[in-house]
Amino acid sequence: MNTGTSLRFDFSLLAAAIILTGIGVAFVYSSGVTSTGEVYSSEYIKQTIWAFLGIVILFAVSLVDYNRFKGWAFRIYLGNLVLLLLTLLFGKVVNGSKSWIGIWELGIQPSEFMKVSTILYLASFLERYPYRMFTWTGFFMALGIVLLPMALILIQPDFGTAMVFIPIFFFMVFTAGAKLEYILFFLAMGTLSILFTILPVYGTLLAKRAPTFFIRLGDSDIVTILLSGFIGITLLSFLGLWLTKRRYLYWSGYGGLVLSGSLIASLVFRKFLKSYQLMRLMVFLNPSIDPKGAGWNIIQSITAVGSGGFWGKGFLQGPHSHFRYIPQQSTDFIFSIIAEELGFIGSAFVILLFGVLLFRGLRILTLTKDPFVRYASSGICGMIFFHVAINIGMAMGIMPITGIPLFFLSYGGSSLITVMIGVGLLSNFYLRRYKY
Amino acid sequence: MEVQNLSKSRNVILGGIIGGILGFYILYLFYLQVLQGEFYQKRATSISQQSVPIYAQRGEIYDRNFDVPLVSNVDSFAVDLIPAEVPKEERDIIYGKLASYLKVPMEEVKKRIPPSLENLYQPIEIKSRVSLETLSFLAENIDEFPGLTWHNKPIRNYTQGKSLSHVLGYVGDITREELQVLFNKGYTYGSVLGKSGIEKQYDLILRGEDGKQFRTVDVKGRRVGEALVQDVPPTLGKTLVLTIDRRIQKLCEDALGNRIGSVVVLKPSTGEVLALVSNPSYDPNLFYDERGNLLFRDLSLDPKFPFLNRAIQSAYVPASTFKMILTTAAIEEEAIPLQKTITCTGSYTLGDRVFYCHRRSGHGPLNLFGALAESCNVFFYTLGSEYLGVEKIVEYAQRFGLGEKTGIDLPGEVSGVVPSPGWKKRVYNSRWVGGDTVNLSIGQGQLLVTPIQMANAMAMVVNGGTVYKPHLLKEVRDPISGKVIEEVKPEVLTVSTIQESTFKLVRDALRYVVTSGTPKPVITTKAVQVAGKTGTGEVGLDDRWHSWFIAYAPYNDDDPREKIVLVVQVEAANEWEWWAPKAANIILHGIFTGLSYQEVLGSMDLWYLKATSGGER
Repeated sequence: MNTGTSLRFDFSLLAAAIILTGIGVAFVYSSGVTSTGEVYSSEYIKQTIWAFLGIVILFAVSLVDYNRFKGWAFRIYLGNLVLLLLTLLFGKVVNGSKSWIGIWELGIQPSEFMKVSTILYLASFLERYPYRMFTWTGFFMALGIVLLPMALILIQPDFGTAMVFIPIFFFMVFTAGAKLEYILFFLAMGTLSILFTILPVYGTLLAKRAPTFFIRLGDSDIVTILLSGFIGITLLSFLGLWLTKRRYLYWSGYGGLVLSGSLIASLVFRKFLKSYQLMRLMVFLNPSIDPKGAGWNIIQSITAVGSGGFWGKGFLQGPHSHFRYIPQQSTDFIFSIIAEELGFIGSAFVILLFGVLLFRGLRILTLTKDPFVRYASSGICGMIFFHVAINIGMAMGIMPITGIPLFFLSYGGSSLITVMIGVGLLSNFYLRRYKY
Repeated sequence: MEVQNLSKSRNVILGGIIGGILGFYILYLFYLQVLQGEFYQKRATSISQQSVPIYAQRGEIYDRNFDVPLVSNVDSFAVDLIPAEVPKEERDIIYGKLASYLKVPMEEVKKRIPPSLENLYQPIEIKSRVSLETLSFLAENIDEFPGLTWHNKPIRNYTQGKSLSHVLGYVGDITREELQVLFNKGYTYGSVLGKSGIEKQYDLILRGEDGKQFRTVDVKGRRVGEALVQDVPPTLGKTLVLTIDRRIQKLCEDALGNRIGSVVVLKPSTGEVLALVSNPSYDPNLFYDERGNLLFRDLSLDPKFPFLNRAIQSAYVPASTFKMILTTAAIEEEAIPLQKTITCTGSYTLGDRVFYCHRRSGHGPLNLFGALAESCNVFFYTLGSEYLGVEKIVEYAQRFGLGEKTGIDLPGEVSGVVPSPGWKKRVYNSRWVGGDTVNLSIGQGQLLVTPIQMANAMAMVVNGGTVYKPHLLKEVRDPISGKVIEEVKPEVLTVSTIQESTFKLVRDALRYVVTSGTPKPVITTKAVQVAGKTGTGEVGLDDRWHSWFIAYAPYNDDDPREKIVLVVQVEAANEWEWWAPKAANIILHGIFTGLSYQEVLGSMDLWYLKATSGGER
């Protein structure tokens, strides 16, 4: 069955993944040790078990012919969606979101696995209809595949995990050759809707220093005027386009749609985002707004990272982390303890390991001729990259706090297994790169 | 194939995005950790450093002799508990045991450690003033009390007990309200604060400055390592030396006995207060006792108001002592010739109102000196309403400092009241009538003065117009070397424009009062020549009156530094025994012979101690 497989693993890919997993276990242990040296958390034991299980899964996934996964892609996707639905119905609430499902003590987060399931199904969809990426309808169909799980996860609500689907989508459709104007449309709309959501709140918090325009955006009268203006432009443009077929009317309609769509989205966001989520976004823009509350994590984390210096404080020696100044040390803020204890040398090494992993993943895109492999690899890279960029950026205070774990390093079985499956797929693709 | 080619270039773009951002992250890490590393290093250190105060020893207080402290500090211990170190399961048992050993109710322990503090790693004071015996017992059985610690918390020892309590005051833990006001002056939660008297007035000098001990703590305040910052040693509170003369104070207290009233002795040449007595009194030491709070409450509710410093915080009708001021006015204004006599028939009629003299049969014809000596009311009714008028009386009362605080360095002084037509209109919305002037002429009616104001008025007569601000602080000294850091210089409060010759005549008149007037039978001391004036205040009771005696001595000495002013005020609440001049006699004899109260009683044959009788009336 493994005909055509040279059985030559991508060793740098596997090495990067295994070293990162090892560092993860070590620092989950470190984060559970108090300054007096007592171990108060048994998280590292669980993490060790997950790590071994994860490595087994990695190899298992890389050995099964990926074409089987491709064949099962729709069923996996559908099954996972059902699991998500069940989670919403019978799940356990952890940290305010209903994201856990399981029996007895064993639980999983279906939303984590949903990322890989979606990648597989979207890849197979894109492979089947490659030219759809040149039409709006095809583009929206692909978007629908992603939006469905995203919506279910947002209901939990787990904002951070839902966000991961966005880069996955863009990486994949970008690789699949989607028209740039489609991608730009959503990127512009996403950016603008976030800005429209935050600016008025941010403006009122900073009252004197912010331009009054920021605050005005919160005024419902002004929003109504703007919105009707944008919608008017959009409608007139498309009416004109239909009548005259002038090209520039297409672009003005495009712009109008982006503006009105993002304004409507911002109104929806402001209604549904929890106040702490808004605050997190705001605090990211300016941590000193709320130094003891939402800004606390950011300030403490930057301090821990910065105080690591070049060589670091040494393993188990970081005072800032061991005095427990940083909440969620073993999950969201695992990078800050690594940076504190291993210094610039160690944390740069961690980033380089992720770099190796991602570039080995991207390399598969050039090695293979199978579009499915290209799309799936791109999606997996997008997923890992987004986690790394957001989590490490957050620890350094240049990304908002979203509660996205750092793959391999953060404590938690579901995310570790997810990334192991992802890397297992990459390894699988590498093994069978000449098969197509 | 087109898609394939497109894909290739797009791969490069994706690689560029990933590589670019990861590269930027590494550069940013370098910026944070290497270039800015020192800054964050410092910040991490400062966040994990916590300071605990090292309480400064409070300054001691001495009397003018600077030999034996009036207030010292005694070692005492406070027992603390670190709540987080108490095992959760045994919490109730340990609290219960601790409460029973410390003899506090279990609820008290639980009140001090509410559930919100149960995970705190900082010591919380459970009980202060724990005896060494109890503490050693707890220390020996420390295994039974995880989380138990203690610290030294010296308590104030008032060596004179009940004596001087109104002057010295007492201290207590700062309250939330007080902290709000005093926060900017360096007070913190847990500061000990002077609550009254000198302890309150000079709290900032007495308290010194708390030091700081640094330690490295984690986010919960748990001590985790050696401090990285040098400790700041505390600055000891300064020693205060008062103007009080312990011997005179004791003499005055004994002479007043358990009567409700007050005594002021001051040096007119400087304003130094030699004795300040207010009775009933209280023993501040008892507040630091097991049942201190209970006692404090009882004292607060006592109808005799033991917390009131009657010498400065209580205003009375001055009665006949006010005639000294009217006499000064009459001489200065030349309102009536010194030899002019007015015949006292026992009463004075104004319109349809009749005002009586205390001698209903009448004194007969009296001149100014004679009238002051006999304290004849009819003479002063006439002088006040017909010769001076209300404006002049009010003017002179104010020139003597009545109706205004003397500015003595004790908190809570009251200003008394000098009634005037304008005042009456304002307060009672009624017209000033002739009868008001008549009453005012003999120091009755709505006129209210404090004993310290009367002492000042007498000081003005003695000094010939100059009044020094009465004060209790003599020197501030270094707590270790005893060197004088600051000496309080006499401060002129007022300089009167009344002529010295007038005051000379008033002094003669006051001497004449003692040698041939009402107090003659009781001022029997031969140790010193006394000049003074009695007063008997109507308070609406039939058989009891306020008893005043204001005096200075010696009358004949030219050296102003030797002179003292004495004011004795005995409230009408006591059995009527006309005690003020009698006490003054004993006090003056004691001061000028150096004898104690008991010795005075032994050496003088005091008729009035054998059989009490009524006096002027």
